[in-house]
Amino acid sequence: MVRLAYISGLTFFVCLFSCRQKTSDQPIAIQWQNEQAVALSIPAAFASDIPDDSVSLLLTLNIAGQQNPVPILGSFERREGGLLFRPMIPFTRGMRYEVRVRGTHAEDFEIPQNNAGNAPNVTVIYPSADTLPENLLKIYLHFDQPMREGMSGRYVKLVRNNRDTIDGAFLDLQPELWNPGRTVLTLWLDPGRIKRDLQPNKRLGAPMQRGTHYRVVVAQAWTDARRKQLAKPYQKAFVTVTKDSLSPQPAQWTLVSPTQATREPLKIDFKEALDHSLLAEVFAIQDNTGAKIPGRWETGPFEKHCSFIPDENWKSGSYQLLIEPRLEDLAGNNLVRPFDRDVSRSSEAVTGKIAVLPFQIK
Amino acid sequence: MKKVYFLLAALAGLVFLANTSRVTRAKYGMVVGTPEIRSISGLAFGPDGVLLVGDSKSATVFAIDTKDATANANAQPIEIKNIDQKIATLLGTEAANISIQDIAVNPVSKNIYCAVQSADGTPVLLKISGDKIEAVSTKNVPFSSLALNNAPAEDAKDKRGNAVRVSAISDIGFADGKVLVSGLSGQEFNSTFRSIPFPFANKQEQSTLEIYHAAHGKYETLAPIRTFTTAEIKGKKYLVASYTCTPLVLFPMDELKPGTHVKGRTVAEMGSGNSPIDMVTVSKGGESFLMMSNSSRPVFKVKYKSIEAYQGALTTPVEESFATAGVDFVSLPVTNVIQMDKLDESRMVILQRRSNGSLDLWTSSERYL
Repeated sequence: MVRLAYISGLTFFVCLFSCRQKTSDQPIAIQWQNEQAVALSIPAAFASDIPDDSVSLLLTLNIAGQQNPVPILGSFERREGGLLFRPMIPFTRGMRYEVRVRGTHAEDFEIPQNNAGNAPNVTVIYPSADTLPENLLKIYLHFDQPMREGMSGRYVKLVRNNRDTIDGAFLDLQPELWNPGRTVLTLWLDPGRIKRDLQPNKRLGAPMQRGTHYRVVVAQAWTDARRKQLAKPYQKAFVTVTKDSLSPQPAQWTLVSPTQATREPLKIDFKEALDHSLLAEVFAIQDNTGAKIPGRWETGPFEKHCSFIPDENWKSGSYQLLIEPRLEDLAGNNLVRPFDRDVSRSSEAVTGKIAVLPFQIK
Repeated sequence: MKKVYFLLAALAGLVFLANTSRVTRAKYGMVVGTPEIRSISGLAFGPDGVLLVGDSKSATVFAIDTKDATANANAQPIEIKNIDQKIATLLGTEAANISIQDIAVNPVSKNIYCAVQSADGTPVLLKISGDKIEAVSTKNVPFSSLALNNAPAEDAKDKRGNAVRVSAISDIGFADGKVLVSGLSGQEFNSTFRSIPFPFANKQEQSTLEIYHAAHGKYETLAPIRTFTTAEIKGKKYLVASYTCTPLVLFPMDELKPGTHVKGRTVAEMGSGNSPIDMVTVSKGGESFLMMSNSSRPVFKVKYKSIEAYQGALTTPVEESFATAGVDFVSLPVTNVIQMDKLDESRMVILQRRSNGSLDLWTSSERYL
């Protein structure tokens, strides 16, 4: 009942405005979300005499200055005091738009440039070591803002000896490999050039050779989802060493056991750098009853170490570190299969079992 | 007062009932609602105008009833110049601010569906009929969906709490009642290929195949499939796949069974420093052709006859000359094709960056076959 009264009040209010036929004292307003102009609220005065089913025909928005205005695709919602227009994609910074009612100009508005000083950054590039195998397979770029997709081919280069940009070093993928938040991008050094005897390898050779200085260069011009450029150009320099053609060997890792009744980390030394992204996923700890121990994993310097910090104090007893066989080193060799395998000489299974390393807490 | 509310509630109940009864009648086990599409990596059509949307970000395939299922036996050729600018204008932005992710022709109505992504990542679905471009509403439409992830319930997080899992759907297709999805992982170099019965039943039925091809017979590779199509060769159905490393591999469809490790046959290597983009099968005068667009090569045309002939040769162990052997193909005078799909038996819809910089959507004629 109260609502009914309220609505009739609103109708009266709308009538007042429509009678005045003036729009300027009730301005249109841009609605923001994550620094993006996602909607425009249009006062009732603009649309008071337009029936609901004709709104999208009689009230249109277009890019300002068009000779033949093209209505922007979007949807209208009735709101208290007017209408809300949501374009299919956010309005673009620096562009000017026009609201038209029954085909005639009603109002102009501009989406201001984003001058806030929060430019996106490359936070880290993995692998983090500065000495890497010549058959390195993957590079991970981490950003602190969601980035614009489909741009890596243009803005990420591999440069040899400070001079030559290596064409086609990275696999050109569509779609690119982003995490759901678009803050982590995987780049593959073209596997076809790394694998022996494939056509790209035969014709172009491997992308990198041992004993050479390389830089991964990320251009500043790359913009994030808000259209803001990177704060500065980034680069990661490294030197290449001999090819790594061997699977990681968990039996050769060193485990440093913590003491009971503490939350000291279990430390694992891999004796070589392993894939940063997989390190976050492939490990689990279980006790002698098979129960999983909750806790968190931290990757150590150069991805050669890992630590597990339990949520609760360790109890004395025997434990197992479980390792999924898909764990890879920097050259894509996993626990059961080297990346570049001669199948005519090897009969090992392609899929393997979980590897297990026991340890004791005293 | 209470009575009024009760009446309203009863009415609402009735409306709800009416709704649910309609829901249960929706085709293919779909329900009416709004699919939460976070990205569009690939588009394909299932039966009766059902649009399949591959969403890499949410690792989900959506099936949407477009209700665009009026048969059009006589599709008119389409030509839209500067289509990126036209779409940008409709979206209230500049061409540099959008990218066209995929196109798919509805095989029933022959309307073209187009996935666009804005710079901020917002996915947009458009329909092109003639020279008209309009939005496809995904609000309150009949749809069903299937999550692809066999990933752990909780994604691994980095120090900032961002999910580190990186994966993408590289292509999506439909053949013989199954939705076919090829995927890429950003972490492991492997090939994930799924064959999912449609309508989507339960999650157990989706099968992941480990498929690989042998280049030179010696170094097997589990390289991810970049694009694929299906074709019949000598009365047998095949998946024709092209890879990021080494192109064109055939897999017999009847061997693609859950949990199996299927080896494909490489029938051609079509050049290095290049990635295949789209493949379609078209025919003219009883002869069928595989058309393949490429990132840095022209469109290739391969006669299925040649593939048939070559298949015979491959029944014996791989020869030494394999690296340079393979099926013959013709390069068409069409370069920089960004997207391609089949319009009808003999024609294709092509999205091409012309030498003058214009991005045009046009229809190929039979003369290319």
